[in-house]
Amino acid sequence: MSTLRDEFRDWLNDNLKGEYECLRWRGMPGDDEAYPELRKIWEAKLGEAGWIGLDWPSEYGGRGASDADIIELAEEYAEHGGPGRCGHIGETLLAPTLLAYGTKEQQDKYLPGIKNGTEFWCQGYSEPGAGSDLANVKTKARLENGEWIIDGQKIWTSLALESDYIFVVARAEPGSVGNKGLVFLLVKLDQPGVDIRPIKQMSGSSEFNEVYFTEAKCAEGDIVGKVGDGWRVAMALLAFERGTSTIGQQMTFKNELNAVIKLAKQNGAANDPLIRTRIAKAYTELQIMKFGFRRTLSSDQMSGADFTSKIFWSTWHRNLGELAADVMGASAEIINEGEFSALQKLFLYSRADTIYGGTNQIQRNIIAERALGMPREPRGGQMVTKG
Amino acid sequence: MSFPFSDDHDMIREAVRGVLQDAYDGGKGPEHIYKSGAGYDAELWTSFAQDLGMAGIAIDEAYGGAALGDLGRVVIMEELGASLASIPFSPCSTIASDMIAGVGSDEAKEEWLPKIAAGEAIFAYTDGHHALTVEGGKLSGRVNMVLYGAQADVLLMSFRDGDKFKLIGIPQGVKGYGAETVETMDPTRSFSNITLQDVMMKDVMHLGEGTPEQFDAIVKTSFIGLAAECVGGAQKALDMTLEYLGQRVQFGRPIASFQAIKHRAADMYIAIEAARNAVYAAAMAEGDDKVEAALIAKAYASDAFFDVAGHAIQLHGGIGFTWEYPLHYFFKRARANRAVFGQSAREYERLATILLGEAA
Ligand SMILES: Cc1cc2nc3c(=O)[nH]c(=O)nc-3n(C[C@H](O)[C@H](O)[C@H](O)COP(=O)(O)OP(=O)(O)OC[C@H]3O[C@@H](n4cnc5c(N)ncnc54)[C@H](O)[C@@H]3O)c2cc1C
Repeated sequence: MSTLRDEFRDWLNDNLKGEYECLRWRGMPGDDEAYPELRKIWEAKLGEAGWIGLDWPSEYGGRGASDADIIELAEEYAEHGGPGRCGHIGETLLAPTLLAYGTKEQQDKYLPGIKNGTEFWCQGYSEPGAGSDLANVKTKARLENGEWIIDGQKIWTSLALESDYIFVVARAEPGSVGNKGLVFLLVKLDQPGVDIRPIKQMSGSSEFNEVYFTEAKCAEGDIVGKVGDGWRVAMALLAFERGTSTIGQQMTFKNELNAVIKLAKQNGAANDPLIRTRIAKAYTELQIMKFGFRRTLSSDQMSGADFTSKIFWSTWHRNLGELAADVMGASAEIINEGEFSALQKLFLYSRADTIYGGTNQIQRNIIAERALGMPREPRGGQMVTKG
Repeated sequence: MSFPFSDDHDMIREAVRGVLQDAYDGGKGPEHIYKSGAGYDAELWTSFAQDLGMAGIAIDEAYGGAALGDLGRVVIMEELGASLASIPFSPCSTIASDMIAGVGSDEAKEEWLPKIAAGEAIFAYTDGHHALTVEGGKLSGRVNMVLYGAQADVLLMSFRDGDKFKLIGIPQGVKGYGAETVETMDPTRSFSNITLQDVMMKDVMHLGEGTPEQFDAIVKTSFIGLAAECVGGAQKALDMTLEYLGQRVQFGRPIASFQAIKHRAADMYIAIEAARNAVYAAAMAEGDDKVEAALIAKAYASDAFFDVAGHAIQLHGGIGFTWEYPLHYFFKRARANRAVFGQSAREYERLATILLGEAA
């Protein structure tokens, strides 16, 4: 067992208590409205103690953590019921992207805020006309007097209201189509040209939002890569999103399965042969996922585990949501004290897992085309709908 | 080389694949083996075990083996699954050699492990503790569906004696021993029913003893090999399917370009990769974790193989339903693997009992 893990355990025991006790087991995806302010303070505490960016280069405060350490620490955090991390988009998506593609200035400017747990990021990819077909973004960016001027709209932007910055994929070459002519910009949210409007989700809360840009601005140097590199950078970030960024989240899956098991034992569902098999299968697939991580982290080439991890975990989680509801039985319908219970949230929110970060259908396309070498989907244009 | 395998494993995979695919090419192998009804290819076994030296892959170096453990066996079983070669590696070099290594006496190990490693003796194994009776120094009983039972030089059996289990070995051909080959849907492998009628106990070899738990753990961990065979078979069925999908043209385009087909192929791949995770995890697990990991691997991989083989037939259309085209052998092997060694429902119930306790 690593010493980092021991140190982290001690730290959690010493700190995740008192005024922070209420945060335990809270604030996971789908429960984002739980104590947002306190969770930000908690994030800064994590940062201050050096628990963010452990695998970054030492000049940015990394502590030489290995991939295996990262898994262990996430496991430890989940076992303590560590609260959902407000900073995960910055730490697990943007930071690795900046480390790979950003300039020294960008790294100096943005990494410390992430590392300290004081600056929060959101992801401005999707638009009304660009979901699965992300390359169809219409938001425009133009360079004027040493500044980028941005006009357009993003949608489904998670945590925009809680964030300080957004990374935006926009079109910088007028007349360009598809994945050409795009830029990847780092934009401050608190400015006159940005308007954020929450959207209520089927799970009750409003994690995601519309974000409108009307002559919003960022500095000329806030472009990652060059004009035309936007797609490449955006895809690199997505690879982190579909790959290891979800380790922390997946470690909490065990807690959720344990909660389902506990309830099944309490209410007698554990005697139902079909429920028993589904629980055993959920456990089986959880073990499979865990080993998939090891394969991903231990191979230098792409392995099958990389291609399949997103669809596998998201489908697993959605099935767990259904299992949770089935274990609850009819009582799953009842709302107590005006709030969904944890298992109700699990049931509802897990429907999103197979949509964001590339839907299951898109994952299958990717597997078929990249892992199996099957022909690519024809690109549209010709198809006309009747009506 | 890719995790969890080493360069040694990769070399073995290449060598084994060369020999097996030459001889068998994924079920297209010598029809005469299948038609003979024997389900056993003596010639191939000799070259595989003796010339290639693969029978002792997991046996200790002290006994002439290669000491490459479960991961080494996984490599070989994947290739055996991909070729459906009719050789008794599975009983002889997985469960039987593990039984001897695990609960055998020193003499038994010294006598038999080197012979297995050198390809000089074929062993089969079956649970005998419900089937055997001893009366007046004579052993009688009947066990069904013993994998390569008719070909085994020695049939190993577990045998209950008070609160201990004994490991006994019955040499082929002793008086009272009868082996009758069973014709099964899957003709690529040999099963036999074994009858023992008043076999003199002095003709029976006493090879070792252990607790029921020890025997049980060896049986369960031997499932890792079976699960690896499922992964290899499923991968081959997917490979054959992908090749066909790329060639077959309908509606003016290769059928591989239809999304309904791509998504089904992707699902096959997802199932195989998950099964792979389960099998490799089990091969690498240690101590108490290994038994649970082996149960998981067997349950998951045997179901995945069956699903994948079924999808493969569907995606081939009529040709997939044709005897001449070897896909059906994989389908049949997949079904046999889930049926003969216990259905996944049984493993899932075992896991459920660990997680939830006994059902009321
Ligand atoms: C909870 C949640 C949080 C999100 N957070 C963010 C965020 O922070 N930032 C952000 O940028 N986006 C975010 N998204 C948006 C998400 O990435 C998109 O919803 C997703 O990519 C799908 O796009 P769409 O909604 O436009 O659906 P569409 O692309 O219109 O898809 C509709 C249906 O068509 C299918 N489909 C589309 N194309 C194909 C194809 N080629 N082949 C087969 N089927 C196809 C899809 O699978 C889906 O079933 C979030 C979404 C959710 C649900």
